Order: sequence, then C-alpha cells, then structure tokens
Amino acid sequence: MLKPVLWIHGEALGPANPALVAHPGAPALFVFDRELIETQRLSLKRLGFLYECLLELPVTLRHGDVVEELLSFARRHGADGVVTSAAVDPRFGLLREQIAAQLPLQVLEPEPFVALPEPLDLRRFSRYWRRAEPVLWGRGSAAAPPAPARRWDR
Amino acid sequence: MRSSDSLPPRDLPRQFASRAELEATLRQLFPQAPGGLSPIPGGRRAAEAALAAIDPAAYGRSRNHLDGAVTRLSPHIRHGVLSLVEVREAVFAWLARSGQPPVAAQKLINELGWRDYWQRLWRQLGDGIWRDQEPLKTGHPPERYAAALPDDLLEARTGLACMDGFANELIHTGWLHNHARMWLAAYVVHWRLIQWQAGARWFLQHLIDGDPASNNLSWQWVASSFSSKPYMFNRANLERFSSGRYCSACAAATDGTCPFEASYEQLQADLFPGASSC
Repeated sequence: MLKPVLWIHGEALGPANPALVAHPGAPALFVFDRELIETQRLSLKRLGFLYECLLELPVTLRHGDVVEELLSFARRHGADGVVTSAAVDPRFGLLREQIAAQLPLQVLEPEPFVALPEPLDLRRFSRYWRRAEPVLWGRGSAAAPPAPARRWDR
Repeated sequence: MRSSDSLPPRDLPRQFASRAELEATLRQLFPQAPGGLSPIPGGRRAAEAALAAIDPAAYGRSRNHLDGAVTRLSPHIRHGVLSLVEVREAVFAWLARSGQPPVAAQKLINELGWRDYWQRLWRQLGDGIWRDQEPLKTGHPPERYAAALPDDLLEARTGLACMDGFANELIHTGWLHNHARMWLAAYVVHWRLIQWQAGARWFLQHLIDGDPASNNLSWQWVASSFSSKPYMFNRANLERFSSGRYCSACAAATDGTCPFEASYEQLQADLFPGASSC
C-alpha cells in the first residue's frame, strides 16, 4: 500500500495507535457512527469526551455511515487502501469486512498488555490471572507475591 | 468555531473558542443525545495528567472507599488514549522511582489485568456478552425480572439518598466510583428485580468509560450469571465506604424504611428465598 488513508476508531484514540505510528502524516478519519449513536442513545457526555480526544489527534472528523464516509474520504485523497488498528468490538469487525470488499485493508495489532499463548482458559479471572501475573511481573524489576483474585471486594 | 464553509464538505469543525462553544456545536450535531458535556475532559493532555498523578500504593490501600486514591484512568484506557502497556510501564516506573516493594503496586496491576481479561473475553464471546453466561443463582426465574428501568430510578427520585446520588452522578458526570457501580447495580437487579441488561444499557449510555465487555460482564457478576453467587451489600457496608455521606441526609435511614438496613443473613433470606446454594 503506497498511499493509504487511516481509519481511526474509538478504541485507539492515542499516540500508540499503530496505524498512526506506522503512517505519520497520512490522512486519517474518525466517523461518529450515526447508527450506533442513535440505537444506543449515547449521551452528549460520551460524544463530547470522544470529540475532545479527537481534537488532540491529527484526524478529520465526520458523522454518518462509517463505511460510506471512509470510502468517500479515501476517494478524496486518491488512496489505494485503508490502514486501521485492531479492535475488540465485533461491530468494527463487520465494518472492516464491508470496507475490505471495496478497498485493500490492513489491520495493525497494538502491543499486548501481556503476551500469553492461546488457547487461554477464560472461564474465571483467577484462571487467566494464574497465567498472566507471573509473565507480567517477570518483565518488571522483581517478582511480586501472588495475591487472591477477587473482583469488587465486599 | 471555524466557519463551516472553510471546511471540506461533511468534515466536522475542529476549532472552538471554548468548551461551551464545543458543547453548543455538539448539541446541534447530535440533537438526540441527552444532557451536556461531562465535567471530565477528554484528550491526551488530561490522560497524561491523570497518569502522572497515580499512587499505586495508596490505590491498593484505599480503592474501595469513595474517597480513596482511585486513578480515574478508565475513560482514557477505554478509548485507547492511554494503552494498557503505557499504564503498566508507568506503574513499574513508579515502583522503581519510589523504592517501594512490588507488592505496593500489586492491586493496580491486578485491576489492569481485569481490563485485559474483559477484552479477551469479549473477543471470545462477541455479542454473547449480552446473554447470561450461566444460570442465575438467585432462586428467581428469569421472567421475574422486569425488562425496563422504572422512571423513579432514571430520574433519581427513589427516595434513597445513596441510589439517587449515584444516579445523579452517573447522569451528570458520566463517571462513578467502582463501589458505587456495584451498589447501584445490586440495587437494580436484586432489590428492584430488573434484568441486568437494562441496567447495563443505562450505564453504557452515560459512562464516559462505558465499555460493553467490562460493563456487561460486571453486571453479570453482580446478577450471578457470571459468578457463583449474587453480589449484595448492606447499609453498614455502604455507610462505611462512603463515610456516611448519604445516610446522614437520608430520611429512609432514620425512619426505618432503608431497604439495606439488615444483616447479610437477613438480606440473603429476604432477597433470595428460593436460592438453594446460598
């Protein structure tokens, strides 16, 4: 991809966004997803918080249909593809598929919080933490003693 | 605000003279979105300031108290303004700088782990986070729970100073202390018998750190569809961790109608009379 545009989404609004890191200066777009905002009746607090985050990033802002706006933005810039960062929300997966049907799309993964081999037993936090905690502390300055894992102490 | 005719068609403005002007513009752009701006600002500068102020040791000691040294990093982490890796490294740097033993930062690292765990579960479950992960352990059949939140809760006029205080804070600031989220969620599901999904949608509408995975799976933890027993609390617990700020101004706390004024054993019997394992 020689001349991509970047699709910035709401899970990566910081300088560590791998698409921004890999393509500094490339045209970047964030779209306020009209359908999502309306169906979830998102409050102005949430939209304002996002907007303020975006004002500190080098990104163009639009409101509407995400795929339509992104493809129109790519056309405006004569782009040969779209680069974005991985997202967990399944909605982004559906949007990615629609974009990829129209233009080459590259998805960049951020650095993981803790690198663990898959598959991982996620049935309870304690099972995940037994695997994750030693790896995390192994990369710190010293090993911490294990602690009981309990969400929301009573 | 920059004149819209100087922008390419459909691009939204990026320059505002003040936060009030931003709010006015957003009201025009999103007329259906309720409320105003949160007093908590978004952006990298605000996120870096919050990160620089963390005290992992104090957090570990006091995080369950409403006045505790919580980090308020969640909105910035939820939207990737700060990555979990950045926060992890900031905690390790704090340890190196402070000379404290690793155990001083253990609680905070553990909570970052919870964030990572919820995200991994979301990848695995997808939209399944909206469905019960396990049967409820409350003894009530699913049809016993109402599908929608009642108006008195949505309008913060239940008459309970604590719950009305939490609802007001949710609606007006978009942020709640974790313990307040737990109390409010337990009240909604166990005292009012409302489906956890209705409460989860309400939180996601307002919380500026609203993350469907963390939010929904925590509601399920309270409801007992993602835990071995339902979460509940009593007045003594709420009063202790809120320094009595609600009870001291609550009529229900003095006239004998506080629904939380009981031992855990009594509440267990009252709220979950048909629960076999409790």
